[in-house]
Amino acid sequence: MWSLADYRYVFMAVGLIGVILLSVPSTLLVVRLPSGEQFSELYVLGPEHMAEGYPFNVSAGWNYSVYLDVRDDLGSVAYYEVVLKLRNSSEALPNDTSGVASPLPVLYRYEVFLEDGQTWEGTLNFSFSNVVFGKDVSLVSLMRVNADWVAVNKTAAWDNENKGYFLQLVMELWLYNTANGGFSFNDRYVSLWLNMTANY
Amino acid sequence: MRYWAKVATFVAIVACLLFSLPHVSGVSAQDAVTAIAAADHALQAAFVSVSDTERAGANVSGLIARLNEAGSVLTSARAASDAGNYSDAASLAAFSDGLADGVVADAGVLKKNAVDQAAGWWMTVLFSVAGCAVFVTVLFLVWRWFERFHANRLSGRRPEVVG
Repeated sequence: MWSLADYRYVFMAVGLIGVILLSVPSTLLVVRLPSGEQFSELYVLGPEHMAEGYPFNVSAGWNYSVYLDVRDDLGSVAYYEVVLKLRNSSEALPNDTSGVASPLPVLYRYEVFLEDGQTWEGTLNFSFSNVVFGKDVSLVSLMRVNADWVAVNKTAAWDNENKGYFLQLVMELWLYNTANGGFSFNDRYVSLWLNMTANY
Repeated sequence: MRYWAKVATFVAIVACLLFSLPHVSGVSAQDAVTAIAAADHALQAAFVSVSDTERAGANVSGLIARLNEAGSVLTSARAASDAGNYSDAASLAAFSDGLADGVVADAGVLKKNAVDQAAGWWMTVLFSVAGCAVFVTVLFLVWRWFERFHANRLSGRRPEVVG
């Protein structure tokens, strides 16, 4: 049989549990649980929504399609811009270690607003027009991005090692900073290598 | 003479039409660029409002969806401007601007509601403190009753002689 001291411990335990449960709502008003790592994601998927089947050998007059995805894990709402640029092998890439975006002109931009934990997916349809091939060089004059025709006038020299006229479609992630009221490069970019081929 | 009068009238009408055309179709590249810049600025201001509203504790899912709509219209405005359709570009930019302004207005209302709701935090604290006090008091009274009950039960027992 239990002694009075044993019953006292039982009452004390019940009292403690009750007080803790009743104070939980107030405690949650004051205590903020630490959030996890804060970051943004940018990735590109092929036409079948898989990380494969990306366009590589491209020609004028053909349509190509990929999907762009952005995920917000910043713990709050975010305003992103995904900017599209086209470079040849000799032009500058973004530098994700020093946080410097590519100096190339923007061909197209997506405006993306996300809540924490939300993912946005956009379609990137593109094609090329007015492509001419000279001696060891190709020139792309026009590029269509979604419904927008853009003058690119981009040359690509013949790559003797990899056998092709290579261009790179670069997609950079920019994030709006409410503190300074502007966009800054988020140190994230993805790219697609494209080999410009003649239309047969 | 009548022939030359007709020619002069025709030339005058054509000249009037030519002069009035730019004002009718209306929008220069510069106008489109200005409208797009204004829409861009409105979108940024709307995002700042939504961000503030979220920090105040409101659910901003609906506002985010509307911002995405405004952003998509702005992208279309840029595309129209690049294609030389300055009139479409300006009207799309104005539409995006209007959507962003609507978001700012609704974000203000949502934020006010959230702030009012958060101002009731002391009621939560009051209920917690009062609940704890009542619970501890009741438990203490039950304990006092139980102590007496236990003592009575023990004193009511007869001693038994064993062996």
